[in-house]
Amino acid sequence: MTDQPPIPKEERRPRDAGHWARYVETLEGSGGLNVEGRRPMSPLQGFGSMWQKTFRIHLTGTDATPAEVVEVWRKRFPEMTGFGSGFRVPAGGLVPGAVALLGGISGVMVLYADDESFTYMTPEGHPFSGWITFSAYEDEDGETVAQAQLLIRANDPLYEFMMLLGLNAAENITWQRTLRRVAAHFGAEGRVETRVTCVDPKRQWRRYTNIRHNALILSALHAVTAPLRRIRRRATGTSKTPRT
Amino acid sequence: MAVKHFEAEVRREPSGAVLDLRGEINGFAQEALDAAYAEAEKENPGAILLNFEEVDYINSTGIALIVGLLARARAAKRDLSAYGLSEHYVEIFNITRLSDFVNVFPDERSAMGDRRQQENLKPEA
Repeated sequence: MTDQPPIPKEERRPRDAGHWARYVETLEGSGGLNVEGRRPMSPLQGFGSMWQKTFRIHLTGTDATPAEVVEVWRKRFPEMTGFGSGFRVPAGGLVPGAVALLGGISGVMVLYADDESFTYMTPEGHPFSGWITFSAYEDEDGETVAQAQLLIRANDPLYEFMMLLGLNAAENITWQRTLRRVAAHFGAEGRVETRVTCVDPKRQWRRYTNIRHNALILSALHAVTAPLRRIRRRATGTSKTPRT
Repeated sequence: MAVKHFEAEVRREPSGAVLDLRGEINGFAQEALDAAYAEAEKENPGAILLNFEEVDYINSTGIALIVGLLARARAAKRDLSAYGLSEHYVEIFNITRLSDFVNVFPDERSAMGDRRQQENLKPEA
């Protein structure tokens, strides 16, 4: 047997390499209002307290494997979350780097996707800066567990105020409902376990300027200025820029 | 493919505590990583260095765990740095914007050197 020279670490292709999105400075090509040209945000770049929220449900009595659960969850994401047609999946599907539009006012980028999980990263202007990971795994008893885990902070002072007024609770309800729908799809019923931890209670006051990208404010401004844009288009004889 | 479990050990160095990480950083690493970080924090070091030389897999849950450590370090006004990341994981730190918040060094020597330089720059009490 001949000795093979060791492969330098940099030359080995890591197992997770194809699962991550490529680096992008800004999100391009979706054409979405408050998404196009916006930077993806990590949980460290937002304004409010940082929260880790974990929601999980045991799929008792089903034979579905974690990979089968995640495959269905990814394919039927709009229906299972209740976002419906408001969640616009790009033509290529929810693959790493893809950008999906949300409710016509914001969107998410697929940061990571493998057989047993997928993660969204939010852009500037979204209510939260951070990541949400949907995954499934087998527990020690061999039972499949579906899980949604968020690591987020409110993106700006207005969203942080809204968190106190009920946005926080509304978000919990969304993911609890989603998990119940995932379980129901596989014929399982169960209680959603919820664990909410404040990872960093501090507000990052120097990030107050994030409000300039606030999707709610900009969408409202966009709506009220629509007649002006229509008049200008008529006057100049130009047509609406098509969204790609 | 066999799953490589995660292990973390704490080393004390004059410039701070070093967390030697080994294996795969995913959701199953949480308990061991949190315990090792708590151990590293015990003597209240000014800095904690994460050694990624023996890490060969990180998924998005694993990156979220590292963000959790970073939040803890920032809350304690402690410097958190990383070294030994392969090119691929440097890229992941860029994609996730972690590199905006964690100093990344090629090796332990340069990480320690930077730390010593920072200590020397501190005004005397």
